[in-house]
Amino acid sequence: MFGKLGLRVFLLQAMTISSSLASPFMIWKGLSLVTNTESPVVVVLSGSMEPAFYRGDILFLTNPRPESEEPQSLYKTGDILVYKIPGKDIPIVHRVIEAHDFYSEIVPSDADEGVAESTSDTAQDAGRGGSQRSPRSDLKQLMLTKGDNNPVDDLGLYDGLDWLERRHIVGRVRGYLPYVGYISIFLNEARQLLLSRPGAFSLKHILYSKWRAS
Amino acid sequence: MARTKKPENGTSTARSPSPSRASSASPSSPSGEDKPTGPLSIIISPEDREAIKVNNANATELKNACDDAMKRYLSRPELFKQIYLHTDVRLGLGWLSVFVAAGTAFYGYKVEFEKSKPVVWAGLILYILLTTLQTLYAYFIEGDVVYVGKRKTFSRRIVSERITLSSRTVPVERSKPPAYEVSITYVRSTSGGKSLLAKGKTHGVREYNSFFDEEGTMDQERFERWVGELVEQAMEGKSS
Repeated sequence: MFGKLGLRVFLLQAMTISSSLASPFMIWKGLSLVTNTESPVVVVLSGSMEPAFYRGDILFLTNPRPESEEPQSLYKTGDILVYKIPGKDIPIVHRVIEAHDFYSEIVPSDADEGVAESTSDTAQDAGRGGSQRSPRSDLKQLMLTKGDNNPVDDLGLYDGLDWLERRHIVGRVRGYLPYVGYISIFLNEARQLLLSRPGAFSLKHILYSKWRAS
Repeated sequence: MARTKKPENGTSTARSPSPSRASSASPSSPSGEDKPTGPLSIIISPEDREAIKVNNANATELKNACDDAMKRYLSRPELFKQIYLHTDVRLGLGWLSVFVAAGTAFYGYKVEFEKSKPVVWAGLILYILLTTLQTLYAYFIEGDVVYVGKRKTFSRRIVSERITLSSRTVPVERSKPPAYEVSITYVRSTSGGKSLLAKGKTHGVREYNSFFDEEGTMDQERFERWVGELVEQAMEGKSS
């Protein structure tokens, strides 16, 4: 059944192919855990953030936990975020134009009057200066976003919500690569094309012909 | 040693074994002991052969073709039986890591991100561990080894033999073409490995162009003759 070369050779070759799929996948998962986001690399699909990002750009995301010591674990006005509305599949990448931060406990801090809420809807947040709060896990943020290239803010996209919360955020954009994302766009379109013709390019067929050719 | 000169392209005349071989006593085995059959004395008829053709610009393919030819040559009936330990360890660790990855993928797909994190961490660490083990095993324990074989013959007492072949490609150096270097370690013992009968270590280097022509067709008989000689030298207990 396994031809002249035998079972072991077949298992070795099948293992090589499977490992070459498993390895990149595990690297992706590792990256996802390190950046704390389910999708550390995304492709821009629309032109709503032009001229900053164009369709086909690749974005690198991180999602620092509020209690972590990472710099700027607070999302602020001006940050570009990728978010997903529950019930809708497509992530959207737009810029924060308003952010309100809440802490559930009142903790007196240095330059602060003991007020629970602080509003940070000014463009320049550097004025917070030395009173930057220590990171806390009870942080709640309400945010409003808008695409740079859109005439109106995203309220209509929020599907009934008034504000975005941290749990909706996939991550914040930390870097990008232009054009490379077109590979993913083409692959996706090819995949949809192939799915409409089942059997022609099935994985079984590919594995079988590779093994026979050995 | 008399040997009939064999035409290079392999016509249908079979080679007869050298008549002096069967009666020669090797220096390190006790006199009167029957020597186990070496690979050169077992003939393959040309009709049984499949032609081997490789891309002779690719050193990896050349080495793999030589390795496979060597394994086939030594695994014929009456000769050695391959021990698949290294292969099985590699298969075991490799498939385990694939299953761990598949399991992690499935779990991550079913459970949403935040809740799935501990299990995905565990899967990732396990995968890295298995991959590291595979790499360490291949580098330190398996090394260059290509074939490990054993044989038990029952002449007057049970004689066990164990042979290990390692090979590597000697890379191109200025105008010297790439070469195939093979090292053979051989041990013959009896009484369950307690008394040593013979031990030999040989190695040989030959350029690939002496086995492969410009089309990439392999001259299997020539290669087998060369390997067979090295193996029989090792079986006689020579060390080189």
